Amino acid sequence: MRPTHSGTMSKLKNKKRNLEENEDEQLPIFDKDGGKDAHLDDGDEDQGDLSDGEESVFSGLEESGSESDDEEEEEEDEEDGSEEKSSDIEENQTADGDGDDQLSAKEVIKPQTDGQNSKEEKKKKKAAGKEGGEESVASVRDSGLQISSQVDEYEHDTSDEEDIRNTVGNIPMEWYKDYPHIGYDLEGKKIFKPIRNKDELDEFLDKMENPDYWRTVQDKMTGADIRLSDEQVDLVHRLQQGKFGDVNFNEYEPAIDFFSNEVMIHPVTNRPQDKRSFIPSLIEKEKVGKLVHAIKMGWIKPRRPKETTPQYYDLWAKEDPNSILGRHKMHVPAPKMKLPGHEESYNPPPEYLLSEEERLAWEQQDPEYRKLSFLPQKFACLRAVPAYSRFIHEQFERCLDLYLCPRQRKMRVNVNPEDLIPKLPKPKDLQPFPTTQSLVYRGHSSLVRSISISPSGQWLVSGSDDCTVRFWEVSTARCLKTVEVGGAVKGVAWNPNPSICLVAVSYDDTVVLLNPGLGDRLVCTATDQLISSYEEPEEVMDQSVQWAVAEGEGHEQGHRLILKHPKAVRQVTWHGKGDYLACVMPDNGSSLQVVIHQVSKRRTQNPFRKNKGLVQCVSFHPIRPYFFVATQRYVRVYNLIKQELTKKLMANCKWISSMAIHPGGDNVICGSYDCRLAWFDLDLSTKPYKVLRHHKKALRSVAYHRHYPLFASGSDDGSVIVCHGMVYNDLLQNPLIVPVKVLKGHTITHDLGVLDVTFHPTQPWVFSSGADGTVRLFT
Amino acid sequence: MSQVQARFFTENKKYLIDDVPFSIPAASEVTDLSAVINKLLEAKNGHESVQLCVVCVCLQEDVVEIEYVEKFTAPQPEECIMHDDWISSVEADSEWILTGSYDKTARIWSMEGKAVMTVAGHTDVVKDVAWVKRDGLSSLLLSASLDQTIMLWEWNSERNKVKARHCCRGHAGSVDTVAVDPTRTKFCSGSWDKMLKIWSAESNEMMPRKKQKTEQMGLTRTPLMTFSGHNEAVSSVLWMDAEELCSASWDHTIRLWDAETGGQKNAITGSKVFNCISYSPLCRRLASGTTDRHVRLWDPRSKDGSLVLLSLTSHNGWVTAVRWSPSHEHQLVSGSLDNVVKLWDTRSCKAPLYDLAAHEDKVMCVDWTENGLILSGGADNKLYTYRYSACVSDAGA
Repeated sequence: MRPTHSGTMSKLKNKKRNLEENEDEQLPIFDKDGGKDAHLDDGDEDQGDLSDGEESVFSGLEESGSESDDEEEEEEDEEDGSEEKSSDIEENQTADGDGDDQLSAKEVIKPQTDGQNSKEEKKKKKAAGKEGGEESVASVRDSGLQISSQVDEYEHDTSDEEDIRNTVGNIPMEWYKDYPHIGYDLEGKKIFKPIRNKDELDEFLDKMENPDYWRTVQDKMTGADIRLSDEQVDLVHRLQQGKFGDVNFNEYEPAIDFFSNEVMIHPVTNRPQDKRSFIPSLIEKEKVGKLVHAIKMGWIKPRRPKETTPQYYDLWAKEDPNSILGRHKMHVPAPKMKLPGHEESYNPPPEYLLSEEERLAWEQQDPEYRKLSFLPQKFACLRAVPAYSRFIHEQFERCLDLYLCPRQRKMRVNVNPEDLIPKLPKPKDLQPFPTTQSLVYRGHSSLVRSISISPSGQWLVSGSDDCTVRFWEVSTARCLKTVEVGGAVKGVAWNPNPSICLVAVSYDDTVVLLNPGLGDRLVCTATDQLISSYEEPEEVMDQSVQWAVAEGEGHEQGHRLILKHPKAVRQVTWHGKGDYLACVMPDNGSSLQVVIHQVSKRRTQNPFRKNKGLVQCVSFHPIRPYFFVATQRYVRVYNLIKQELTKKLMANCKWISSMAIHPGGDNVICGSYDCRLAWFDLDLSTKPYKVLRHHKKALRSVAYHRHYPLFASGSDDGSVIVCHGMVYNDLLQNPLIVPVKVLKGHTITHDLGVLDVTFHPTQPWVFSSGADGTVRLFT
Repeated sequence: MSQVQARFFTENKKYLIDDVPFSIPAASEVTDLSAVINKLLEAKNGHESVQLCVVCVCLQEDVVEIEYVEKFTAPQPEECIMHDDWISSVEADSEWILTGSYDKTARIWSMEGKAVMTVAGHTDVVKDVAWVKRDGLSSLLLSASLDQTIMLWEWNSERNKVKARHCCRGHAGSVDTVAVDPTRTKFCSGSWDKMLKIWSAESNEMMPRKKQKTEQMGLTRTPLMTFSGHNEAVSSVLWMDAEELCSASWDHTIRLWDAETGGQKNAITGSKVFNCISYSPLCRRLASGTTDRHVRLWDPRSKDGSLVLLSLTSHNGWVTAVRWSPSHEHQLVSGSLDNVVKLWDTRSCKAPLYDLAAHEDKVMCVDWTENGLILSGGADNKLYTYRYSACVSDAGA
């Protein structure tokens, strides 16, 4: 069933009911003719069968039938005789019954064209009628359909009329194969098969002669041959192609919504409500119960009420008030327009009016450079003044002014890159410092490894690889004394105590204390006395170093005490008081690398139970009882009284070569073989305060001046670099280090340049000894 | 060739010419001008030709005024006296030359360069020598040494005998300088021990001889007075007059002392170590040689003592010796470690008048005698003497 509105449905039903009633009325008519025409109707059986199954398919037949008209019907009636008439009527009735639905709608339009169509049809039918009786039967029946529809739709309307022709029902017709009849009509009389006497030959002949053979079919219900009309053939073709049987059927008809917004009085379905819709759900009850329990237990809390206060982002919340003030401070007022002057007047004083030349000049000038943007004009009266032609232009320019006016002063940060460089005083302002080579002390035949200056500054001692120690007069470069020792001299050190005249000289494994006999005679003799007055203590200590008094020729030369060490001594250095002497015997891993001698008691002690690393050089603190030991990478500061390690300075270099202590005692410089000079401020940290890399090659020696803020470094590149190194008493002020001078003079011999540097004790002079066998004085 | 109007003038009356402008070629050189003046002089008084040099040119009203003076002739080298060792000091009088040497002796030479006497007795280098006085044939001389003593010797030139009169002990360092006062009765010594000491220069007749080694060393003498005030070694000392002493030191000061009271009168502060000073009574200026390469002139009277009047720059090493001309107020001689002795005229401070480049090593000492002899000794063991004649004529003028 097609879904339709209940309203339309009911109408249709009413219609059908009417039709059925009509059928009943007409039945008697049918009955009258039925007996005579029974056998004739056989041909229609098939059709009836078909129509039974599919009403809509047969609607095409009815349509085509509707084209024929009354006249045709009548003519045919005459030709075919009475038998045919009755069958026609029957057929008409059945056909009408089938097709009335469609016809009812279309009947209204058709009649106009009926006249023409019917004539054409008539001719066709006449031609066809001559060829065969069966054909004519079909055509007659067709036209009969038309008649019935024409006469009255509802008169002969029988929906299942066809079934009545043969009452055997829907059974296999083979069952009647052996019988002469094929079934029974409504009356109960046999329906006889048409006489079939055609053999194969007849069949063939028929096939060859009858042009309508291809459209002739046998009606199973009656056994008669039926020639299919054009419309029927067409219908068959269409069905074969899978199209709808009805030509006019539009399968793409706009659908009418079954469910619409219109409220209908009846529901679509009339199904009664379920029982469960009346009874509360047990499952739900259980769920709700759980929820209620949870709420009671406080497991579920009611939803927090939404905050009603609107949340805005405060744009200025974090802006500090100063910046706003700053913004106000930076405010730039909009440019003000110049007040009008006399030039603008409509009647300006004559001196404001431009002369002819001025006007020409004005016109030729670029508008940007014009002093006045307009020409002053004179009018007799205000009434004569024309409209201001530049008004729009001027307004536009004013708008431009306002628009392009800077609204904020741009603060440009001008940083001069030179200002970022720390201000260092010019070397010129840091004088005095040595600048030129003044004296060359010549005499040594081999490299001069070590130099030392007397505390008075009058004498200089130098030790060389030619196994001599030479004493020089500083002011004249005169060699006053040459003392031969038994080996290449590694280190010399003048006793810093002015009241003792002793020079420690180290060569091989020996340290010799020399009395050069220079300076004050009294001091020299006093020193000699001091040494000779030594008395052996009762108990002889077992010492690693043997002390011996020089005698004979050595004594003549100035040798006083000879200290035999177990290993080669590289460096000797005095304590500031002049009684203690520290010697370095570099030997990796040995526990005996540093020894401290006490000259007055001729005692030797090994201050360290164990030495870490290879000791390079040692130094006494100038004031306090500290002892500096430089190994390859570190400088360790020991407190000699507490006998503990106080500090460990990280030099950040590969191999320390030399070390010097500032006379103040709080600063240390270290020279290293990797071309660096590290300045340590002991108050600051254990890392270098500054690292200077001015030398091209390894540093061999560094030295501080005793009074002047100077320090110097000598290197293998043959140069001595003098730096200004000011140390302030103010703890907050860091030392000021300015390189001031590169002193050159030494020639590089065997890849060695300057081997030792030392400062004059009182003058800003620096001595340097080199591998070229000279000592040079720079002042 | 263009001509200019020139007028010549001079202050020397001997060479006066008429005060008339001459027209001379503009491209004239000094020699051309000299020739012109000589011609004029010859025409005027038949004077023998002299070398002249133009000193000053000034322009006045289209006339070039040219001052001309007599040209100094170059010092003529005379003698080269060889020593055994470095010469530390030299002092010459009109007849004899006294030198101190690093071979611990002092030597007396004749003007001709003949070794006359060797004064030996010091145990160390002789740093300074000085003549005290000459009484006929016998002379008194001083030698200061590194052995902290000063010895007063009596030398008889006829018998050629030298005798140690006194040994002045008291210094605690090497005695670097001695100076005899104008009265020739006292002398002052400066030492490395920062002290100045005044000693008597009188040669007392022998006290009753004691059995000691005085025969060799002479009597021990002690200082009359000691001035302390310097912070560093005293390098040079001199008498400005009988009452006033002047000393230069390594502490960068020149100090003036009152010889009577021992008080310090004035101090001149320099920036470098002073090696030597010299005072000219003619121009009353102090000349100092320092451990830079300048010779500086000072006014010892100025209260603001650290003002350099003039600095003469040409040396390349320390100036070790400086000496004013005893007869010329503008001239001085200086010796330096750069082996050169330079003769200066303070009126032309840009460049020296002459460079005396004879030494092969450091110049240690210079002297300039009254009779126009310039002496210089150095580390090449040589003592050079130069005759500088201009001084004589100038002195006469």
